Amino acid sequence: MTTSLWKLVGAAAAVALFGISEAEAQAPIKIGASLSLTGTYAKPGTYQKEGYEVCADELNAKGGLLGRKVEFVMYDDQSSTQTAQRLYEKLITEDKVEAVMGPYSSGITESVAGISEKYKKVMVSPLAATTSIFRQGRKYIFMVISPAEFYLEGLVDMGAKRGLKTIAIINEDTLFPKATVVGTEELAKKRGLQVVLREAYPKGNTDFSALLVKIKAVNPDIIAAATYFDDAVAITRQMKELNVNPKMFGVTVGGDIPEFYTLLKQNAEYVYGSTQWDEVLPYPGQKEFLSAYQKRFKHEPSYHAAAGYAGCLIYAEGVKRAKSLDADLVRAELLKLKIRTAFGDYAVDQDGFQTAHKMVMIQWQDGKRVVVWPDDLASGKLRFPTPPWSQR
Amino acid sequence: MKRGLLAAFCVLLLGLAVYPMAGTGYGIRFMLQLFMWIALAQSWNLISGLTGYVSFGHIAFFGMGAYTAGILIAKLGWPWLLASLAGGVGAMVLALVIGWPCLRLKGPYFAISMLGLNEVLRVAVSYFEGLTGGGSGLSLPALYASVAIYYSMGLVALAVTALTYVIVTSRFGLRLMTIREDEIAAEAMGINTFRYKLYAFLLSAVGPGIVGGLAARDQSYIEPISVFPLIMTITMIVMVLFGGKGTIWGPVLGAVLLFTLQEMIWARFIYVHQLLFGAIIVTVVLFMPRGILGVLQQKYNLPRTI
Amino acid sequence: MLGQVVISGLLAGALYAMVALGLGLIFGVMRVLNVSHGPLLMLGAYTTFWLFQWLGLNPYLSLLVSMPLLFLVGMALQRLFVRRVVDAPELSSLLLTFGVSIAIVNLAQLAFTADLRSVEYLTGSFVWGPFAFSKSRVIACAFAIVITTGAFLFLRRTRLGKAVRAVSQSREVAQVCGIDVGRIHMLAFGIGSALAAAGGSLVAVMVAIQPEMGQVYTFKSFLVIVLGGAGNYPGALLGGLLLGLIEQLSSLFLTTQVNEAVAYILLVLVLLVRPTGLLKGRA
Repeated sequence: MTTSLWKLVGAAAAVALFGISEAEAQAPIKIGASLSLTGTYAKPGTYQKEGYEVCADELNAKGGLLGRKVEFVMYDDQSSTQTAQRLYEKLITEDKVEAVMGPYSSGITESVAGISEKYKKVMVSPLAATTSIFRQGRKYIFMVISPAEFYLEGLVDMGAKRGLKTIAIINEDTLFPKATVVGTEELAKKRGLQVVLREAYPKGNTDFSALLVKIKAVNPDIIAAATYFDDAVAITRQMKELNVNPKMFGVTVGGDIPEFYTLLKQNAEYVYGSTQWDEVLPYPGQKEFLSAYQKRFKHEPSYHAAAGYAGCLIYAEGVKRAKSLDADLVRAELLKLKIRTAFGDYAVDQDGFQTAHKMVMIQWQDGKRVVVWPDDLASGKLRFPTPPWSQR
Repeated sequence: MKRGLLAAFCVLLLGLAVYPMAGTGYGIRFMLQLFMWIALAQSWNLISGLTGYVSFGHIAFFGMGAYTAGILIAKLGWPWLLASLAGGVGAMVLALVIGWPCLRLKGPYFAISMLGLNEVLRVAVSYFEGLTGGGSGLSLPALYASVAIYYSMGLVALAVTALTYVIVTSRFGLRLMTIREDEIAAEAMGINTFRYKLYAFLLSAVGPGIVGGLAARDQSYIEPISVFPLIMTITMIVMVLFGGKGTIWGPVLGAVLLFTLQEMIWARFIYVHQLLFGAIIVTVVLFMPRGILGVLQQKYNLPRTI
Repeated sequence: MLGQVVISGLLAGALYAMVALGLGLIFGVMRVLNVSHGPLLMLGAYTTFWLFQWLGLNPYLSLLVSMPLLFLVGMALQRLFVRRVVDAPELSSLLLTFGVSIAIVNLAQLAFTADLRSVEYLTGSFVWGPFAFSKSRVIACAFAIVITTGAFLFLRRTRLGKAVRAVSQSREVAQVCGIDVGRIHMLAFGIGSALAAAGGSLVAVMVAIQPEMGQVYTFKSFLVIVLGGAGNYPGALLGGLLLGLIEQLSSLFLTTQVNEAVAYILLVLVLLVRPTGLLKGRA
C-alpha cells in the first residue's frame, strides 16, 4: 500500500515538475513599453504601439524568440514625464520585463533613460532623435532613427548645390526642433549659406503673421522650419496669405504625413518634408511589413509605426545573436550589429548613437510624396525653384 | 481616543520610514510622488484654504524651485539637498515679487493675474536659454537617489502639515481665516490684511519650491512644459477641495485618495480618465464644496484642528 | 511693415473682442468666470467643420447654425451646473467651469478624435498697396464687428437687453423691479456661448481645428476682460483691440515667443494703476 502510494506521489511529482519546466520554457518573453496613448503625443504614440504589435505578430508567427513567444507589456504614460518614470520603474521592478522600448518624445526619453540604466536593462529607443540623450555615457540605450540635427540636411544640400545663398531658420521652442535647427544652422554655414534670420516660436502658436512679415523683409532663398504638424500647416497657409515666396520651403515632422496634403490641398505643392521612412523606399521586407500592417490596422503606416516595428526587430536580432536574454550579452551584440530592415539601415557607435540610418526628403508633387533626396534613394526629381504663389 | 489616534499615526510614520527597504523601485517612486502631492496640496491650502485667495498659478513656485535647484546642481555642482532648499528660497522670492503687486487685487483679478504667472515664467525660461537650456530642457548629472529623495519628500510633506497645524492653532491663522470670511470687517478690526496675506503667500511658496527642486533631482531632466503645467495646479486644488479646504488633514486625505485612485483605477480606463477627472471636479464643487473632512467637521462637530 | 502689423493686430483684436464680450457678459451678469468659454468656441468651430464636410455649407452661413446651437447648449449648461455657483466664491465657479471644460474637451476627443481638421475655404489675401491681408481674417473681422454691434444694440435698445444690464448692476434691485433673474442668467450664458461659437466658426477657416484649440482663447478672453474691466462691456472691446495690437507688435519688435508674457506683464502693470481694469470694471 505504502509503496504504491509512494509511486503515485512520485509520478505526480514527476508530472508536476515536467509541467513546471514546460510552463517555464513556454513563458513568454516580456518586453515593456510606456507609450503616449493619450495627451499631446497620442497620435504618434498610438502608431508606435501598432508598430510593436506588427513586429510581435511577425516574430511569433516565425516561432518566437529563442523558442518563446514575445509579449509586449504596454502602459499609457499620458504624455507626462512623471507618469512615464513611474511606469518604467513598474515595468522593470514589478512586471519584470526583459527589456524596454523607449517612449515617444525626446523629452520623456531623456528623463526615463536613467531608469533602464539603473537596473541595467536594454532600452531600444525607436523615436528619440535628440543627440544629447545618447551622449551622457549611458550604456544600455540604443538609437534607431536619424538624429534631429540631420532632419533638414537634404534641404540644405539641394539648395547649396543649386547655388542658393540665404536661409531663414525657424523652429518651435521645444527639445527636438531646437536640436534640429542647431544642426541645420551648422550644415548651412558649412555649405556657405548665410543665415539671415533665426527665430523660435512657442509651442501652440497659431499666428505666424508677424514672423512671416519679418522673413519677407529679409527675403531668404530657403526657409527651413523645424516643426511639428499644426505649425507646419499654419505656416504654409499663412505664407500664401502674406505672399512669402522662397525658392525652397521645407518642414520637418508633419510635412510627410498624408493629412498635410488633405488639409492644404494644392497649397502643399512644392513643399519639402523630411521623413525617417517612406513606403516607396527600396528596403527589404517593406512589402511584408506594409501588408501585415494594412491587414491589421486598415490604414497606411506612418514612420512612427515603422520605427517601432524596426526597434522591436532590432532588439530581437540582438537577442538571437547573443542567444540569450542577458542584458550585457544583448548589449554587446547590439553595439556590433549592422542591419538593414524595412525601416532602413541600423548601426550605432559606442554610445548607442545611430550612425547609419539616412533621412530622406520628400516633395509634394501633384498630390503625391516623391522622394527627392538622397540621390541613391530618390524616386523622382525635385521641382525647383518653387514658383511664387501668384503663378500657381 | 486622541491617544489611540496618535499611536496609530506613529505606527504609520514608522511604517513609511521602513518602507524603502521592502518596496520595489516602482513603489518607492510612487510614494515619493505621493509625498510631493501632499506637500503641494498642503501648501496651496495655506494660501487659498485659509485666506480664500485663490492662487491659480501655484505650480509656478514648483517650477521656480525646480529650475533654481536644477541650475545650481547642473551648472554650479551644488549638492541636491542644499539646492532644493535654495529652490524653496527662490520660490519665496518669486512669491514676494508677485505677491507684492497682486495681493492688492481682489477676487477675479487676483485669480487671473496668477494664471498668467505660469505663462510668463515659461517664457522667461525660454528667454534665458543660456542659463536654463530653454526649450531643450536642463539635464542633471545622473544620480540614483530615489530612497534619499523619498525621505526628503516625506519630511517636507510632514513639515508643511505641521506648519499648517501650527498656523491654524495660532492667532496668525485666526487672522487669516478672518480675512477669508470677511476682508472688510478684518480691516475694520485693525488687521493689516495685505501684510498677513503676503506672509501666508510666502509660506505657501516654500513647500512647492523645495519639492520642485527634489522632483528635478529625481527626474534628472526638466523642461518648461513639464514643470509649469496648468493641470498640476488644478490637480492640487481638486485634492484640497476633495479632502477639505482649510482643514489640516484634508489636503493629505485628498492627495492620497486622488493620487492612488488615478494610478490604480484610471490608468485602466485610458481614454476616459480625463473625462472622469472632469466629472469628479464638477461633482466635488457642486455637492461637496467643503470636502470630505469639511462635511465631517460640520456633522460631528469636530475641532478646527482636523 | 509696421502698418501691416498694426492692421493685422486690429483685425485679430476685433475677433478677440467679440469672443471676450461673451465671457464678459457671463461675468457681468453672474460673477462667474467661465473657463469653458474656449471649449464652447471649439464646439462652434466643429459645427462649422461638419456642416462644411457633410453639406458643403458656406462656413459663414454656418454661423446661423452654430450660434443658435451653442446658445441652447449654453443655456442648458447654466441651468444644469452654473446656476449653483452663481453666488459662491469665485473658486467654485472657476473650478466648476474648469471641470465642465475638461468634460467638453474630452467628449469632443472621443467623438471627433484628436485629428486635425480644417475648413479649406477662402484662402488667399486681399492686397491693398504694400499690405497683404488674409481674406479670411478680414472677413472674420467684418463679421465680428457686425455681431458685436448687434450685441451692443441688443443691450442698449431692447427691453431684454436692458434687463440684462440691470441684473449686471444689481441683482436685488432688478428682482424688485420684476425681472426674472434666473431667466436672465440663462439668457446671458446662452448669449455668451453664442458669441464664443461665432468666434469658433470664424476661426474655423483660419486655424487647425482640434479639441484643445479653445484653451488659448479662454486665456485671451480672460486677459481681455480683466484688461478692459471685468463686467464692463465696452471695456471688452477696448481690451480686445489692445490685445490684438500688443501681440502683433511684440512679435515684430521682440520675438513671437514672448507674446503671451508681454500681454500678461502689461496686464499686471495696468491692474496696479487701475485695480479694476482700464474702464472701471466691477469687483
